[in-house]
Amino acid sequence: MSADPRLRSRLQAQQPAAVPPPPPPPPVDPQPMGLDGASDAVGQPAVDVVSDDKFKLKFCTVCASNQNRSMEAHLQLASAHLPTISFGTGSLVRLPGPTVSTPNVYQFNSTTYKTIHQELTNQNEHLYMQNGLLNMLGRNLNIKGYPERFQDWVPGKPRLEHAEDQGAAGTEAGVVDVVITCEERCFDAVLDDLHNKGGKLNRPVHVINVDIRDNHEEALVGGRAIRDLALRLNDAADKERETHGEGGWASGSGAARQGFDERVPDILAEWQENWPNMPALWSLAWF
Amino acid sequence: MTSLSQLASARTLALGDGRYYRTIVPGVLPIIAVNAQGTTLEVQRWGADFLAETFASPTWPSDAKEPISLTVLEVLNQYLKVDDVGIVKSTIQAAATIYPLVYRHTVSQPHDDGPWKLMLSIKSNILQRMDSAPPGVRICCVKFVQQVVLVQTPGMPVDPRRPEQNDISLTILPRDHPLMPYGNMEAEGSGLLDRLLDIIHGNHGEALLVTATLNALGMLIQRRPMIANRILSSVLSFNPLKLANSPMTPKSKVIIRSIERTTRALLLNVSRRNPDANLHARINQYLDRIARMRIDVFDESNRKRPAPTEPTDGLDTSKRQRLGAVVPNPAPVIPPLPPGPVSFRELYTLNTDANTANFDVQIFQDRETLYRILVPILHSVDEKKLGQALNIVRTRYLAKSEEAARNNANAANGVSVDDDEEEYEPDFEPEDAEQIINRLDSAPPDDGPGPASSAPLAPYKLPEAPPLTEQEAQRYGDMTIRRVFGMLSAIDDASMKSKGSKGGFNRLAATTYDQDASITILCRLATRSAAGLDDPDGNIKSEYEVAKKGSFALSETIRDALFNYIMYDWRRRIDIAINWLNEEWYNDQLQVQAARQKAQAAMNGDAANLPVPKSNYRRCALRLLDGMMAYIESSDKVLVRFISEIPELDREILQRMKKMAEDPERVSLSIMVLQFLYMFRPPVRDITVDVLEDMWRTNDRAKPQAKKLLSKWRPHVLETENEVKMEAMNGSYEVQPVS
Repeated sequence: MSADPRLRSRLQAQQPAAVPPPPPPPPVDPQPMGLDGASDAVGQPAVDVVSDDKFKLKFCTVCASNQNRSMEAHLQLASAHLPTISFGTGSLVRLPGPTVSTPNVYQFNSTTYKTIHQELTNQNEHLYMQNGLLNMLGRNLNIKGYPERFQDWVPGKPRLEHAEDQGAAGTEAGVVDVVITCEERCFDAVLDDLHNKGGKLNRPVHVINVDIRDNHEEALVGGRAIRDLALRLNDAADKERETHGEGGWASGSGAARQGFDERVPDILAEWQENWPNMPALWSLAWF
Repeated sequence: MTSLSQLASARTLALGDGRYYRTIVPGVLPIIAVNAQGTTLEVQRWGADFLAETFASPTWPSDAKEPISLTVLEVLNQYLKVDDVGIVKSTIQAAATIYPLVYRHTVSQPHDDGPWKLMLSIKSNILQRMDSAPPGVRICCVKFVQQVVLVQTPGMPVDPRRPEQNDISLTILPRDHPLMPYGNMEAEGSGLLDRLLDIIHGNHGEALLVTATLNALGMLIQRRPMIANRILSSVLSFNPLKLANSPMTPKSKVIIRSIERTTRALLLNVSRRNPDANLHARINQYLDRIARMRIDVFDESNRKRPAPTEPTDGLDTSKRQRLGAVVPNPAPVIPPLPPGPVSFRELYTLNTDANTANFDVQIFQDRETLYRILVPILHSVDEKKLGQALNIVRTRYLAKSEEAARNNANAANGVSVDDDEEEYEPDFEPEDAEQIINRLDSAPPDDGPGPASSAPLAPYKLPEAPPLTEQEAQRYGDMTIRRVFGMLSAIDDASMKSKGSKGGFNRLAATTYDQDASITILCRLATRSAAGLDDPDGNIKSEYEVAKKGSFALSETIRDALFNYIMYDWRRRIDIAINWLNEEWYNDQLQVQAARQKAQAAMNGDAANLPVPKSNYRRCALRLLDGMMAYIESSDKVLVRFISEIPELDREILQRMKKMAEDPERVSLSIMVLQFLYMFRPPVRDITVDVLEDMWRTNDRAKPQAKKLLSKWRPHVLETENEVKMEAMNGSYEVQPVS
């Protein structure tokens, strides 16, 4: 059992909640439950969840390996009932190995979280329990099947086969409105890849970077920050639809006349004041 | 509501298999149209989103989309008249995707004018919104315009056999198309591109539009090489940090950083996908500049704090010094001595700080340590302060001694005094300055500084190393030279690039620690260090006796190393060779001068038979030239430079040109050298012409070219030669007679 008391208390808090049982991670492994999504919703105000009758933006979270930061954020957004998918921009999935120079490396899009979990457990259960990797993988395999690579993603290609993933509802068409990256390198990689893809869909997408350091604690805090940002954005988008619905934009006034897209920098700046430790970047790119 | 769920299930079907779009779109159209029965805003929004999604979908091919696209134009046209941002946005997205399809259809069906008219109506509606609509709509307009530019700019050459594979561009449009005049289309594309580029140079407060445009331009640069340069020039003249001049709000910070980052991403992408090195250089230069500007704007860490606003007076002394404020030194406050007898410590203590006063110098067990601290401190003593302090102590002392005298008088009168008076011994030295200055004055007078101050502060000398033998010295010298040259090759490329501004004539050689400096030092070491040492008398100016005896061999070693270094890459290192030869020549001149002076002194003005010091210059120049000669090719113009820039030319050097001309390929090069010398180095004109004449006489292949020049420079030779030739003709001379 991990030494982290925070995780233990979560585990206890979460036990009674009815969680869909995870696909059984083959060897005995009670740990994955520790970081399961439902636990974060416990004790949080209901405002943090977007009700299903409201308009919802579609989100995509991106980090290097689609394991830690993007998955924590994926979980947070999915538990706020926002449509979410997630990706990594690295060439391979890299996880810490027995030494600094020997990371564990896996292929994107094919190696499932379950396989990785299994493999690491066989390799050195104690070590990977200690450094939290098994925890993380346990969480991930409850969210979706396998890490996906951003560069291999074909926007607009339906994602019906991902219907089981958390946050899949609403992302069937394979496009999103907002991409949130977790470090500047990924932000650059996303912009670069979108240039390469050539904007064939003619669909605007807000790419936002939230700088999060790659460790479990920061990922947790960062995930909350991203959830906060996403809720603010969604709120603005929802308002745009309401305000402009019947009478059109000419009838609104003041801030209400501003549409969602142009408010994104404002929202980001407001958000940044609350989360000053995660420097933000933003760009409007094209799918 | 039922219709919405029906529509949703139709969409799910299409998402499952792209082939269903063909049948679903016609089925859905009547429901989502603006004038459909029982339509609601929600249905129309759904319809607009669905159409945008449908035509963007990669799951069905574009030639299947083409006929379907014609059927939805009417609906899109109507949607544009609906007052809802969501619908308009999606409609413009759909229109952007459809535009190339309708264009291609009209190209192949020139007489079907219906769809194109509708498309034109949609286009003009969208273009009208470009400047006035809410920004969220305008970004979609930007993308639409980008599509129009893409279509109406010439692209890759077409392959008529596979029309479906062709890039949809202006290239597929026939010149005589009845609906779409080529010229108009091209002009419109170009004009719209200008509008796009204007956006990024416009108001950056609209970061949304700016980043949207930048991100849309990338694809145009990639797919339309014809206009790529125009776009890039515009982007490269764009200042993403323009907003930095306005007040920094959290929003403007985010915006500036974001615009800068977006620009960078675009340029890096272009540079990565484009092999043109020239372009890389331009882009890198731009990015460097922007990075520096960004540091100026954002990075406060390396900025100095602003000067404090408080008045400089009454500050801490150290602070005042840094501020450079000229403040009249306030007379130091001297705490009055306590009444009654005082210790030496109290007498000398001018500082009220208790910590300093209680400092005990005895904590220094090691005398050496004390020396090490004291000597530098003594160096840094401020004389004025010391004087002041001495005066204060002196005043105190006088006052005390007067008091003591009074007390003594009183004692003589039988009044009892305290027994401490022996502290005021006459052997006390008021000049014992260390104590005052260092405030190390807590030691009792008898044992503290007494022995310390009397100890000699002899300079520390390193034990002398055993003398080097001659061979050792030689070996170490060689090793050093090798190392210097090794270093030189390592910094070669880097420093070549960073060659900045030259100081001109006024610069000092070897001040900049770069490659040039090392070369200069090496050349001078080679030429001057041992110069004159082989002179038996050794009577030379002090400038020349830098090195010790034995390093004469050293300078030869350096010369060898220099020679090898230059030969290793002689084309690029020709300027090093020139520098070196100049140094050699200069040193030779100095030697001659020195020898002449010496001779004058010795023989009283009879300079006729002065010993000529051996000329290193000539030897080295010939060696270099011979070394290069093997590698010179006919295209090596660098030889012209070499020959023309070395400081002195003589017959022997120029004879090498003649020798070079024996290789038929290099005839014209050697002629070129001679011609250049004739034109730009008048002092060697005679030798040049002599050599040329010689060449003309002896080298048949060089003859025609040499003759051309000789006819200008020395025509009489040709005439005499003509006569000779006539004779030679009789002797069956092979060469044609010259007319």
